[in-house]
Amino acid sequence: MAMIEVKNLRKRFGDMEVLRDVSFAVEKGDVVAVIGSSGSGKSTLLRCLIGLEQVSGGSIRIDGSDLCRDGVYVSAAERKAIILRMGMVFQHFNLYPHLSVLKNLEIAPHLVKGRKGPELRAQAMELLKKVGLADRAGEMPGRLSGGQKQRVAIARALMMNPEILLFDEPTSALDPELTGEVLEVMRDLARERMTMIVVTHEMGFARDVASRVAFMDDGRILEEGAPEEIFTRPKEERTRAFLSRAKA
Amino acid sequence: MDYIVRIIPALLRGAGVTLALFALVLPLSLPLGFLVTLCTTCRFKPVKWLAEAYIFVLRGTPLMLQLFFFYYGLPFLPGIGPYLRLSSFAASALSFTLNYAAYFAEIFRGGLLSIDRGQYEVSHVLGLTPFQTMTRIIIPQMIRVTLPSVGNEAITLVKDTALVASIALPELLHYTQGLVTRDFTTTPFLVAAFIYLLITFVVTLLFKFAERKANYE
Repeated sequence: MAMIEVKNLRKRFGDMEVLRDVSFAVEKGDVVAVIGSSGSGKSTLLRCLIGLEQVSGGSIRIDGSDLCRDGVYVSAAERKAIILRMGMVFQHFNLYPHLSVLKNLEIAPHLVKGRKGPELRAQAMELLKKVGLADRAGEMPGRLSGGQKQRVAIARALMMNPEILLFDEPTSALDPELTGEVLEVMRDLARERMTMIVVTHEMGFARDVASRVAFMDDGRILEEGAPEEIFTRPKEERTRAFLSRAKA
Repeated sequence: MDYIVRIIPALLRGAGVTLALFALVLPLSLPLGFLVTLCTTCRFKPVKWLAEAYIFVLRGTPLMLQLFFFYYGLPFLPGIGPYLRLSSFAASALSFTLNYAAYFAEIFRGGLLSIDRGQYEVSHVLGLTPFQTMTRIIIPQMIRVTLPSVGNEAITLVKDTALVASIALPELLHYTQGLVTRDFTTTPFLVAAFIYLLITFVVTLLFKFAERKANYE
């Protein structure tokens, strides 16, 4: 059974159609890179999956549970349970600026799952170590570099033990020399078979790490397949045009 | 000097009322102001309109007029009027609280606007309830942004309490005026100014301290 199943997804903002009939499935352990020019609907698609946008139509199933079916959502409680199985990493990190790095990691599992004490602290420290920031646990986010902030944000998402991680242009707000450290963490996660959907402009990452690449254009998934297929033998003219522009 | 020592007890009695008013109005008007802010963001339009009208009226009319309304005006309301005969202290506390709440509501609104939408989004994704998001994430950040403006209003409040002399509430300025007319000297004005400065100085210090506490960078 697919981890994520999207059928005929549509999203309108006013009379602007941002997503037109998007369907795809993601298997457990897949790393799907979503590429395409800005305004093609990549971010909106991600935001629909995790309930930050209400779909205008279509169905979303997460690991067999409906989030919405033919545009009708399940109850708020069911929705929350499904959303908690996913984590999301944002372009602008969205760390809590008034909380230390450690508290950023601990607050959600504490408030949402009632976890506390040494067990919670141990997981937080372990994840900080994993993203290479164990020595910054007591720091305030304002004192971190962009790359460090994004790594903290990834660790924070992992604290909720998600089965799926969504990345919305995780390196787009970073200085070029800082993208590497974030991509490295994501590469580690991919190696551990975390199911991931990554909206990205990093073609190198899409080519090397993704198990599948989806090219979006004008609210549709125009083409999808293995990275080498998309990058070396794109079927669609628009994919070719986009890729040649992205390389330049 | 002798004269100053003699008038100090009366002035301090007045300052006590000033402080009592301040200490009552500030902690009441802050949460009320925040409640009004929340109402202005309410999706249910009538609540939003009511809150906006509240701010419009209370900010758009003189505080002195509001004071007169609650002290002299309320008892004339048809039907319930006779039950609304407030003491001058109660009328003062009530009108100041309502008036300052309107100003605080606008300050908090600005504070909320300054907080990035991403803070709400990530909280939603992490599973925080709207209440948890507000109390644990948004309000702490809003407090930091708004503290300087709130401190400014607090100092204005100290000085605005002098307005209640107009409904004969015996606070600092009321006693001062009495002494000036009785003794034909302006010295009490100077002493009163000094006492006001002392109070605002302490309030300034308190807010400086609070700002340092709330600063998280």
